[in-house]
Amino acid sequence: MPGRWRAVLERGLGDTRTRILGVFLIIVAVVGTVLMRSYANIETVFAATLLAGSLLGRWWTILVPLTALAVLQPLEWSTTYAGYGLNAMTGITFFVVSGYVFVGILGRRIRPRVLFRVKSVALLTTISVPVTIAYDLWTAFGEWYFITRPFGVGIVTILEAQVPFTLYHLLSSLIFVPLFGSIFLFLHTYGWPARAPAASSKTPDRE
Amino acid sequence: MALRLSERQQAILFASALIAAIAGLYGSTLVLQPVPVQASEVHLVRLDVESVGWSIQYAPLTTDNNTAFRLLLEASVKLAFPIGYVWYQIPQGVFVTAINGSVNGEQNRNWLYQVNGVYSNLAADHQALHDGDVVRWIFSAPQEGI
Repeated sequence: MPGRWRAVLERGLGDTRTRILGVFLIIVAVVGTVLMRSYANIETVFAATLLAGSLLGRWWTILVPLTALAVLQPLEWSTTYAGYGLNAMTGITFFVVSGYVFVGILGRRIRPRVLFRVKSVALLTTISVPVTIAYDLWTAFGEWYFITRPFGVGIVTILEAQVPFTLYHLLSSLIFVPLFGSIFLFLHTYGWPARAPAASSKTPDRE
Repeated sequence: MALRLSERQQAILFASALIAAIAGLYGSTLVLQPVPVQASEVHLVRLDVESVGWSIQYAPLTTDNNTAFRLLLEASVKLAFPIGYVWYQIPQGVFVTAINGSVNGEQNRNWLYQVNGVYSNLAADHQALHDGDVVRWIFSAPQEGI
């Protein structure tokens, strides 16, 4: 039985390189977001999740956002957004977590070939735009439902107020997706001295 | 025949497009920033602060503090009660977190403000006041059981 579980873990987490890159993305997601907490919607969880889904796949599609948010959400609820009721916290956390999981899964559906090429970075950057907007619409609905609707505020007001925040979020995506995407692809291709640069076909350890 | 670009040319093209997109987005965010309220004299404005078990009224005949936040700040100085607030850089604005010891989150309540009976969707330092306006800060709980 332990052997079976080990095989499942090996398959889910991938080889050593994949695991290291997965942990790297989690660190990027957490540290980047904490450093920029004064700037609304400038965060690195989105970029890390998209890269995890599209370039690592496997369990990392879910592990990266869930692990990062397991650290960040309690931090936010105990500091910036302290005082909300349990129902509101639970509801909004559901929308945030499900939103990022959706981003990871969408990234996995796209799955560009893992090459250190301009096209790979350009593809990821381009798809980050509609995905960012979709994520913001989803979480805006959650925030309306759980925070402002009890005070009698309509969804249209919330969507209007969301516009500048989505612009900041798009700015964040356009900066961090190509930045970390390029770094990540470089590491994936050249970061392990014992390995030759990846061949142009799909790397054997990706699903 | 399709134009084939080298990797370097693709990188330059992509970087140019990206920089243009970032500049355009940043410009849009600047355009959407609320215009700072210029200080001007207002007359007969009133400030009401209501919490659980206490309230504060402040009604200067005239003041240069013509935003909902600056009026609250003036009242806190004149009437010697503490306020807590956080300044945000993006987007620019102030978020009031405590007035006279009542802190956001206590008893599931948060500070909201109205001007002339209407909740505002602007940061308090961007809400301009006019002669005769009534600003009401309320330590309110949600209407539903959240």
